[in-house]
Amino acid sequence: MDIQRILILLGKEARLGATNFMSIYVLVMPVILSLLIALVFGDLLAQTPRLGIYDASDSQQFIQPLLDHPSINTTLYGSQDALTRAVERGAEEIGLSLPAGFAEAMRSDSAQVDFTVYRWGEAGVRNLLLLESAVGRAMAEGIGSGIDQLPVGVNAEQLGSANNLTWSQRLLPLLLIMSIVLGGLFIPATSLIDERQKHTLIALTTTPATLLDVYLSKTLMGFILSALMAIIILLLNGAFAGHVALLLLVIALGGLLSSVFGIILGSVSKDMDTFMGIIKAAGILLYAPGILKIFPQVPEWIGRIFPTYYLMNPLLEVTQNGAGLADIFVDIAVMVVLAAALLILLNSVIGRQQQKLALET
Amino acid sequence: MLSVENLSYTYPGGTEAVRGIDFTIEKGEIFGFLGPSGAGKSTTQKVLIRLLRGFQGNITVLGKPLNEWDDSYYEQVGVAFELPNHYQKLTAAENLALFRSLYSGETHDPAKLLEMVGLEEDADTRLSQFSKGMQMRLNFVRALLHKPDLLFLDEPTTGLDPVNGQKIKEIIRAQKEAGRTIFLTTHDMTVADQICDRVAFIIDGKITLIDSPRNLRLQHGERRVKVEFHRDGLSSPAQQAEFPLDGLGDNSEFLEVLRNNPIETIHTQEATLEDIFIETTGRTLT
Repeated sequence: MDIQRILILLGKEARLGATNFMSIYVLVMPVILSLLIALVFGDLLAQTPRLGIYDASDSQQFIQPLLDHPSINTTLYGSQDALTRAVERGAEEIGLSLPAGFAEAMRSDSAQVDFTVYRWGEAGVRNLLLLESAVGRAMAEGIGSGIDQLPVGVNAEQLGSANNLTWSQRLLPLLLIMSIVLGGLFIPATSLIDERQKHTLIALTTTPATLLDVYLSKTLMGFILSALMAIIILLLNGAFAGHVALLLLVIALGGLLSSVFGIILGSVSKDMDTFMGIIKAAGILLYAPGILKIFPQVPEWIGRIFPTYYLMNPLLEVTQNGAGLADIFVDIAVMVVLAAALLILLNSVIGRQQQKLALET
Repeated sequence: MLSVENLSYTYPGGTEAVRGIDFTIEKGEIFGFLGPSGAGKSTTQKVLIRLLRGFQGNITVLGKPLNEWDDSYYEQVGVAFELPNHYQKLTAAENLALFRSLYSGETHDPAKLLEMVGLEEDADTRLSQFSKGMQMRLNFVRALLHKPDLLFLDEPTTGLDPVNGQKIKEIIRAQKEAGRTIFLTTHDMTVADQICDRVAFIIDGKITLIDSPRNLRLQHGERRVKVEFHRDGLSSPAQQAEFPLDGLGDNSEFLEVLRNNPIETIHTQEATLEDIFIETTGRTLT
């Protein structure tokens, strides 16, 4: 194994991969899907928190700061009904209903002032926190008090679906599997098959570069693309959150699994048609956990049957639930065991490949 | 430089491709390995370039048993395959630059190599736009990139026009002059005859004969000379006559033909390598 030669071959992979249709497809596809999902379900292009207000009397001094707030979209409604309907259908994530005499009551030293806040059932936690904090600050500024000393009583009411996962969040697992597995698996496999069919692999192995160098460069290419795609998809979906080091560890393990699996598939596939046939037949097994995640009513244990669950689950746990190492230890352990098994298999595959190459030439 | 003793190779399916062959190649020699398809010449070359392992027998290359070589072997050995195998999306210069970067020793400037085979104008052309002949020329010079001591060339003139074929043969001779050893696998007897110092005939996995083309021609040819001439002036039909080479200067009949008739052709009757191959193996090279 020679690091310098591996890097030279990696450069060659990048150069040739940049003009390869399959590479472009697997890199662009998840991004396009992300953008489409965001466009359809609104999370990416309309991420600004949405606030609706119904003011029964003149509470302008509390409302104006919210209308002027640069980070939230505030809409005034003419009636309580209009406000609740807007929240119920998700047009507003929070609806603020200020009763008659609210401003006066706030300014006087009278006792607690009650008002109602409507929450849309599918609103994201991040937006809810932002909106509630903005409302609290606006009121505190309006009466010149601290945010924790506000003399208010809030009646919170949830409207619309009780599901707290948006469609973007439900589709994110599938997108993540697509980006990590497609990038990691397709690139090394197709590149290896192509080189074998065009006999450039045999040309490389009659130079000081070894078959191991060639395999490592392709695996590394898959690993890099896979990790890069995972990060891009998480960023595009506003989900690159939680414990970053842990997130990167999971992404790295996922990239390793996919790229090693890809290079093994490329080695055992006779040609491109055989490889595509395998992917068509077995692809569902790779994507299954992501597809099942779209339907929250499907029991979680079904997903656990599929290996990619152990990549998807820790990613979601870290990004959506702020999980730590202890929470996802089992998933990581499963991935490490799978990676070790695949590496042992790869070693055996490389040994056989040398003989196979000589026979094919 | 290269010594092969009792080499045998059996493929995993049980086909015995090479059956106990022996030969040696001296430094600076061009050794032609001739045989029809399936004779065992490609298998022998694959063993010698370390693609096929698990052979039986003893092979010593560059003073070291072949089994003891690691991948540094390819720093000293150059291989040109029968079929071009380049990166079609890269240009000729990029292909050579890529392979050049894999060697740690001294290498040739790719531009000079391209010039050597008349591809200098096409250095920046993608390989996908190259003809087969152009790809073959690039294939050939790629094997020379790292100035190897030992060259394995598989059908180096296949698919080339006569001018470029001649150019390649001249480069091979120049490599020999520079002290390099060349193992040339071919079924083109003319190429072997023109450039090889010695040739080996292989058939059914066995070497049937090894010698220099000149010796083979002399041993297997007829020591006669054939003359084509016109008995009654150039307008009359050509006639043929054969005379023994021995004592030709005193052969009155031969001298009479030369003196009194317009001569059209005159040839000695030594055998061609192809004739010798057919004679010794009972097979043709196709």
